[in-house]
Amino acid sequence: MPPKNNFKKKTAPSDGSMTPHIPTLAEQLSYLHLPKPFKNPHYTKNVNRRVKNLKTVLGQEREREKAERERRRQVKSEAGEQAPQDTMNVDGETNRAKAVEEDEETPTYTSIEAPPSIWPQKRYCDITGLEAPYTDPATGLRYHDKSVYEVVRNLSASTAKEYLSARGVNSIVK
Amino acid sequence: MDIDPYILDIPRPVLPSLPPPPLDYEGVSGDIIIDNGATSFRWGFTGQEPSAAPNVIAKYKDRRNNKPLLLFGDAVDCETGARGQARTPWEGDVLLNFDALENTLDYAFLQMGINTPSIDHRIFMTERLATPLHSRALTSELLFELYSVPEVTYCVDGIMSFYKNNGSSKPFTSDGLVVSFNTASTSVIPILNGKGILSNSKRIPWGASQASEFLLKLVQLKYPNFNRLTSLQTNWMLKNVCSFTPDYLAHLRSISTPDALRTSECIIQFPFAPTPLEEKTEEELAKTAERRKEQGKKLQEIAAKNRAEQLQRKENELQRLSALKENKGSDTKREWMSRLQSEGYDSDAALEQAIKKLDAAVSRGRKKEQGIIEPDEPAEEPSFPLLDVPDAELDEDGVKEKKKQKLLKAGYDARVRARKEKEREREEKEREIKKEEDERENDFEAWSNRLRIEQEALMTRIKDRTRRKAALSDRKSAAAQARMKSIANLASDDRVPKKKRKGGGEDMFGADDADWAIYRKINIAAASSDEEDDLNQLQVIEQKLLQHDPTFTIHHTHAAISTQRSALLTAFKPSYEEGDTRGKNRIHLTTERWRVCETWFSPSMAGVDSAGVGEVIQNVLARFNEAEKGRLVNNIFLTGGPSQLPGLPDRLFSALRPVLPPEMPITLHKAENATMDAWNGMNQLSLSGEKHGYTRQDYDEHGPERIRRWWGGNWNNTI
Repeated sequence: MPPKNNFKKKTAPSDGSMTPHIPTLAEQLSYLHLPKPFKNPHYTKNVNRRVKNLKTVLGQEREREKAERERRRQVKSEAGEQAPQDTMNVDGETNRAKAVEEDEETPTYTSIEAPPSIWPQKRYCDITGLEAPYTDPATGLRYHDKSVYEVVRNLSASTAKEYLSARGVNSIVK
Repeated sequence: MDIDPYILDIPRPVLPSLPPPPLDYEGVSGDIIIDNGATSFRWGFTGQEPSAAPNVIAKYKDRRNNKPLLLFGDAVDCETGARGQARTPWEGDVLLNFDALENTLDYAFLQMGINTPSIDHRIFMTERLATPLHSRALTSELLFELYSVPEVTYCVDGIMSFYKNNGSSKPFTSDGLVVSFNTASTSVIPILNGKGILSNSKRIPWGASQASEFLLKLVQLKYPNFNRLTSLQTNWMLKNVCSFTPDYLAHLRSISTPDALRTSECIIQFPFAPTPLEEKTEEELAKTAERRKEQGKKLQEIAAKNRAEQLQRKENELQRLSALKENKGSDTKREWMSRLQSEGYDSDAALEQAIKKLDAAVSRGRKKEQGIIEPDEPAEEPSFPLLDVPDAELDEDGVKEKKKQKLLKAGYDARVRARKEKEREREEKEREIKKEEDERENDFEAWSNRLRIEQEALMTRIKDRTRRKAALSDRKSAAAQARMKSIANLASDDRVPKKKRKGGGEDMFGADDADWAIYRKINIAAASSDEEDDLNQLQVIEQKLLQHDPTFTIHHTHAAISTQRSALLTAFKPSYEEGDTRGKNRIHLTTERWRVCETWFSPSMAGVDSAGVGEVIQNVLARFNEAEKGRLVNNIFLTGGPSQLPGLPDRLFSALRPVLPPEMPITLHKAENATMDAWNGMNQLSLSGEKHGYTRQDYDEHGPERIRRWWGGNWNNTI
């Protein structure tokens, strides 16, 4: 009801001026109004702060890694070409090779990601979590025994899909 | 765990308390140490007690007085409006929201009481293992440009925690394998000679937040109607009732019986408002009964009064008509006729009939009033005298009358026959019942067996029918294919093979009545009257068995069997009676308690295509020679919040033992304080006087993305 709201809004400030305002818990906890002298007043926010989302950041990281690898390969081949001609500069060459070798291993956010598992995977019942020797061919759900199969058979298609998605199996829409 | 099923109450949210007043900043000169974790933010000066709070802020406008507010940590929980606006600096595993980070740092510096125009302290801060450079660049920019700090040292949290627990010897040259359990990931970091070998470390994209989301999903699937569950609550469940088990498969097998499953369960009780039971006192009950009785009486009285009135009216009418009839003699014929007609009667006979009817009604009514119920008089056999008289002896009217009588007699005979038939049927039924009773009394066993077999047969028939129905919904099933074949056969003109036809073969369809059943068979949608019949019959049989066979209980009926849940499923998810609010607000956790933790060792269980902790450690170790391997596994160090889940060391041991040489000793240690030791490690580092920091000068020279390379920091983009 809009009229009521308006009424409230109008009276609220006058009430506040009449009686001492009791701050709510949230107001007491808020630190927005506190002076923060330690902050540099001339600092302007980096424009990248909000623009980049997780996907762009990770994509950028991957790009950078790729470029770095490319660059290193080039340096290496250059070093290889130079080697026979410039026999005098032995120290510099080895140093560079060493640096290259070390750089090769520089871990990045994407490179340290764990690989997919190659250990044999056990199968567990999608409903009860117990061992699952069987799979329902219609839904693809794994189940523990006959009694669970009864449940599996009576599941609606959407519920079956939800059970599958808990295991990360997202069926392709036909 | 051999705790019997126990009930835990989900904690009720508590209002946040006011934070302690800011520290006295006068004369403090230590370094500032910040552990910027995805769950908790910990901060403090070197050598002082650190503070810790959830790493979350909320910036919003209070609706009541239109005031912008900014809350941090636990304070975010004080209002629903704030909770909706909660932001954390982290997005999953990546530091990304720098507005939130700025607000968080503001809070920390305020609490530290800093009142100078810049932060004149060195900063030690944790950094994600191999952090994306974007995160580092913006953090450095904030620290150097907004807060004007002189120097920053970024540390990898897992290594710092290891340093705290293993770095007492100087110089720090310990070996070990750090397994750092974080909020959104789990990392394995080998350390040799006190140096983190980051090139060989790995990160598994599975952490506590994913685990509690997984538990949330499992519970939602198990309790689809329980819709007020949050991942905060499942996180609480994860912490309090979930654990690792050394051999998951063996454990699953050990709890796969209904009883074991039941004893392994843990019940989470959610708050509920008990429905007020409408308990009526004895007195109230008596009162309502009394009232009902009175009402009934009143109704009866009214009905009796109505009846009496009606009777009175009829009596009056009867008297009037009788009087009219008496007066017949005193009137002339014409007068009499007109009077009759004005009353609505055509003739004397009509009047006579009306009087008779009224008389009967009145006498019946009187008798009823006196409480005498008159049985229906047996209809006496009407006589049809004219039927036996030959037509010749009758005049025209007589013949007509005879025809009429003939018809009447035919009707009468038919009624008599029907009655007899009914009688006979009843007798037959009685005889059958008698026979069955005899059978039951003489040979109860056989009787019961026969009925049970019949019941069984009916149930199988019903089952077969449902099975067929289900099979027909699948186009490729044998039943559906057979049906299509039948349809094709029926539709084809030359159903009879040509050879047969040549030899004078004829289409014999229909010669046998059973042939027509094919049309029922191919019609899926046919309303199954058979099914109804079967169900009725089944009910009759079950009634009999229930009545006479003490071993046949309600649980043996078709209805009970078809709705029965197996003991296993009941143990997995016990059901509660309708109206049991306490029970309806409960969540039973059984296999989930171990299933969720097991995901750290095989994330594929939850659909994450990544190797688990055990396999990743094996991969990491494969890059070292045997001697180094031995040094690493002799000191496997577990840190981070989830490492406190019970049973983790045993589980990890059982995962690693089979993949390592038997003579290689495996030793596992847990961090002294899994959540605070990263901070404590940095504190120790700060006190040790080692210098690895990236200074303001470095920042101006090399930009925000770089750091100095040192034993406890990241390797990417170092100088």
